[in-house]
Amino acid sequence: MSGYWARRTGSALLVLGLVLVLNFVLFRMMPGDPVASIIDPNFSPDAKAQLSALYGLDKPLPVQFLLYVKSTLSFDFGISFLTGRPVMEELRSRVPNTVALLGTSLLLSSFLGTWLGMKAALKRGSLLEKCVLWSGALSFSFPSFFVQLVLLMAFAATLPLFPLRGTLSVPPPPGGFALVRDYLWHMALPIFSLVLLGFGGWALYVRNLMVKILGEDFILLARARGLPRKNIIRGHAFRTLLPPLLTIFLLSLPGVVSGAVITETVFSLHGVGRFLLEAVTGHDYPAAGASFFLLALLTVACNLLSDVLYGITDPRVRLDRGAQR
Amino acid sequence: MRGLLKRWSFWCLMILVLAALFGNRLFDAPPGAEVAAAFSKPLWLDRTLPPTLELALTPEKPSLELDWTYGSPSRFSLRVETAHSAPDRFVEWRIPDREEPFRLTPLRTGTELDGRDISFKRSLGLPPFGDASSALFPARGAYSLSVSGEGDWQGSVTIRLEGGRWGLLGTDQRGRDIAALFTAGIRVSLLVGIFATLLATILGTSLGLAAGYAGGWADSIIMRVVDLLLSIPLLPILMALAALWGKGLWQLILILSVFSWMGTARTIRALALTLRDAPYIEGLRGLGARTGYILRRHLLPETLPVLLATMTLGVPGAILSEAGLSFLGLSDPRVISWGRMLHEAQSFGAFTAGAWWMLLPPGFGIALLCLVFLDLGKYLEERVDPRLRGGGPS
Repeated sequence: MSGYWARRTGSALLVLGLVLVLNFVLFRMMPGDPVASIIDPNFSPDAKAQLSALYGLDKPLPVQFLLYVKSTLSFDFGISFLTGRPVMEELRSRVPNTVALLGTSLLLSSFLGTWLGMKAALKRGSLLEKCVLWSGALSFSFPSFFVQLVLLMAFAATLPLFPLRGTLSVPPPPGGFALVRDYLWHMALPIFSLVLLGFGGWALYVRNLMVKILGEDFILLARARGLPRKNIIRGHAFRTLLPPLLTIFLLSLPGVVSGAVITETVFSLHGVGRFLLEAVTGHDYPAAGASFFLLALLTVACNLLSDVLYGITDPRVRLDRGAQR
Repeated sequence: MRGLLKRWSFWCLMILVLAALFGNRLFDAPPGAEVAAAFSKPLWLDRTLPPTLELALTPEKPSLELDWTYGSPSRFSLRVETAHSAPDRFVEWRIPDREEPFRLTPLRTGTELDGRDISFKRSLGLPPFGDASSALFPARGAYSLSVSGEGDWQGSVTIRLEGGRWGLLGTDQRGRDIAALFTAGIRVSLLVGIFATLLATILGTSLGLAAGYAGGWADSIIMRVVDLLLSIPLLPILMALAALWGKGLWQLILILSVFSWMGTARTIRALALTLRDAPYIEGLRGLGARTGYILRRHLLPETLPVLLATMTLGVPGAILSEAGLSFLGLSDPRVISWGRMLHEAQSFGAFTAGAWWMLLPPGFGIALLCLVFLDLGKYLEERVDPRLRGGGPS
């Protein structure tokens, strides 16, 4: 039984290792000399060499890679080229915002989607089912930034109900309660937009899975045994739905994290995603590498978490026979 | 094939392809040209605003009557081109409630006047501030433009009035026609969507076949890479690569295809795994057929219908990725695309101008194109696997 956990942790670590390699290669390949942006062309070759030595750029690549891995794993990302402050300091204030944005919207949209999808599957041919099918198709075809821009234009620019930009008012209101209220007021529209964009896909998946499950023999058997309808749906059908639901959750994570970049850009939120965009466009390699690593770490951690949950909900995968899924 | 002709999406796609190929010939100016005042509304939106007009005087038509029912236009400009200059003859502008006409300029070739020029305003006896058009268009009523004096002249006198309205869909922050930009954007979206998926499909098919048919270490390596790419957020990598490789259209297509072959590879691998042990393939192997021959002549044709469906269903993903990258400002600013239009709408003040007409056309364009390909893909999927038939959209 412990073999399953060990395997999942091992594969998460492997992914993390590959992310490290990718990160190193990707940002080492970026155009320009990494120190070029802080070196003045008038510097003497000696000074240049000293700077290169300071950043460890004179060492052979494998040594550079090991140094990089060591500093990354201790969350020491160096100093941002653009702001001149340690990257970790910049990120520390941004990570909570990104986690709050993604976590809240993911939870809300998955609950709403699951609920609607089950309703739709139980009422085949109803108006609700048609709505669910259409909302699924629409959520796959409307670009997220477009929907968010329209919401922003409607509810922030035309009707000034919500703020146009930012995570907090400038200057932030004093006092704990006012601060929380201001934060929620700023986050409401981004979270609403992500739920609006996300629930359709969930509802569609859940509806399709549920329709399949409701056609299985064990549901028929449960009905023949005279079990109450509520019991069949909650105890039998929903229980069977959970493991594949977790798989979808797992598969949707990278896309959700990618979406953070776009959402934070549209709403000008103080988060990791927008930091990454600014770093990439401003050729700020330490900052770009660090934000990418953090976003990947977030994804891998959530992956591991849903793997654990998967093991709990589906005993087959924990036992040796069902090792593959 | 008859089923295809009954699909709305097929006809929609045909119209879009035709528009992408020939649509820009409907417009007088190329799509990037500035044609009217910035943030002009669509013509049909607000009928009280003056439209953008260009009026020309020629020897055949020496005077123009204009019945003006709007406020003053935001810009007024005039251009004279004649074969022989005639300094004693003037271009005259007659306005209601004033006896004397304005003598705008002598008939001298190459004259270009703008309502904002101070010398022009002073020659008309107007204060040096603001645009001359408010004095030239003080009220509603009958206006006329003519050339004073007797006798023939050659060439043309053109006046141009920039109002707050232009074309079918208005203009953007640089005064470019949004309808023309929209039409140009179809081409980019179609091009990126189709070619990126095509490349990704080729990549995914070859890797999937290799993994499924060869098995062994090739299989485990390829599937590990697939797992990795499916479990990390790809947009940051795409962003870094777009910044790294330059922003051209073809680089973008290449980058997108390198990171979107995983689904196809999985599907093809599963198919190849089942086919590998099929009796007829074993028979072929027994007859001494080479692996390349089996892959090319038997496995590939077997996977083609599935490939067609997965390819069509993959196009929306590529279109959305391209639009996303352009929206983040990581595309070539010279290439007009729908994502770029949305980027400019956000970055250059569509919100403060309330210019919603900059937002809706590209957004709905992307969504329409994606829905078209989703519907076509669903149709192809049903053709491949008739069990899927029935049920609603997507």
